[in-house]
Amino acid sequence: MKLAKYTKFREEKFGGVLFETRSEKVYSLNPTAAAVVREITPGVDEQEVVERVKARYLDDGGAIEAEVRAYLAELRHKGLLED
Amino acid sequence: MTQAATDSAVQQVAPAATTAASDLRAPLYVAWQITNECNLACLHCIEESGPGKAFRDELSETEIFGVLAQLMDGEVPYLSFSGGEPMLHARFFEMVEYVCGRGGQLKIETNGHYLSAENCRRLAELGVKAVQVSLDGASRETFNRMRVRGDFDCTVAGIRALAQAGVPIEINYSPTRFNMHEIGAAVDLAHELGAYSFYTGRTMYTGNAVKTWRLLEPSEAQYTAYFSTLRAKSDEYRGRMRVYFHEMGLLEELRYRLVNPAALLIVLPNGLVKLLNALPFVCGDFRRESLADIWARFRRGWQDERVKHFVEDLATNPGKTSELHRWVTL
Repeated sequence: MKLAKYTKFREEKFGGVLFETRSEKVYSLNPTAAAVVREITPGVDEQEVVERVKARYLDDGGAIEAEVRAYLAELRHKGLLED
Repeated sequence: MTQAATDSAVQQVAPAATTAASDLRAPLYVAWQITNECNLACLHCIEESGPGKAFRDELSETEIFGVLAQLMDGEVPYLSFSGGEPMLHARFFEMVEYVCGRGGQLKIETNGHYLSAENCRRLAELGVKAVQVSLDGASRETFNRMRVRGDFDCTVAGIRALAQAGVPIEINYSPTRFNMHEIGAAVDLAHELGAYSFYTGRTMYTGNAVKTWRLLEPSEAQYTAYFSTLRAKSDEYRGRMRVYFHEMGLLEELRYRLVNPAALLIVLPNGLVKLLNALPFVCGDFRRESLADIWARFRRGWQDERVKHFVEDLATNPGKTSELHRWVTL
């Protein structure tokens, strides 16, 4: 799993930004979203991203896994993520 | 993570050109005019570029790579090289190689006259994000009239060479009274040539256009028809090629920018940094200042009363855009 070819991520004090340079759209990320995107690196699969994020936060009733998976699906839908 | 990551985690803010800069630690986009030298002398050129028009004080090779290193260290994700004609710069390919090699996304804005098969192959190999070519006409007659010393066939051949090499292509179109009627055909041509984006807007009264305005100035009726055609073409090519057009006039756009400054630095060939191409204000100098210092000055610059007054004066004196090359240091 990796960010799409034309998508760049940068961390910011408020969380981060994703910049899709082909459409020149910027997506502002809150700290939780930035924490997920930080874990998206080549060779890492979705389950590993989920596990890494779970390891960093208190998983209250297993909600994190569903949230992260939904979020990754949203990134894919927007064309910001490639498997 | 107490908040659902999905409830507001990803939020589209705005296109980059309108993203507020205030909270960001560095620009998102640096548009660098790497030389003012050009092989053409276009009627409308905002930079008054042309043969022999390189600034006498353009940045040296050492200075250029020093700035590029700062931009990459500062995680500026997106750069463009323009001019003048950027491909005339003696270090052009080395600069491209450096930016792409460090993971930057790079767009080249060119008149298309140096897009040989070999150069296109190199651009493809280096991994440029896109090459934007100015194509202000769908016919030889209109293009060559606008692009003095330019050649329509050479530009079209260059675009075909880009497509052949697999380089993503953008087309830019500057409207004038004598080429607006070709806009529909130009969008069709851009698609046939393999472009993925087409950009246009309103031509500004500045640079060379101040001297040639009587030849260029479109009427409002022409603009109405122009944007109507573009709306139809945008629909026609939806999903196949993006057709971007900015109907907003300069005054409206500048008023919007005063409230929502873009996270964009305009770098001139001598290292000076402007708030915006359409404003005369300089907010930094890469010869003397760091990226961090310039970024701080840029953000303060948008709050400067002189900037606000300049924009509001445009409401009663639109001819002030002719002063954009008389730089005012903030």
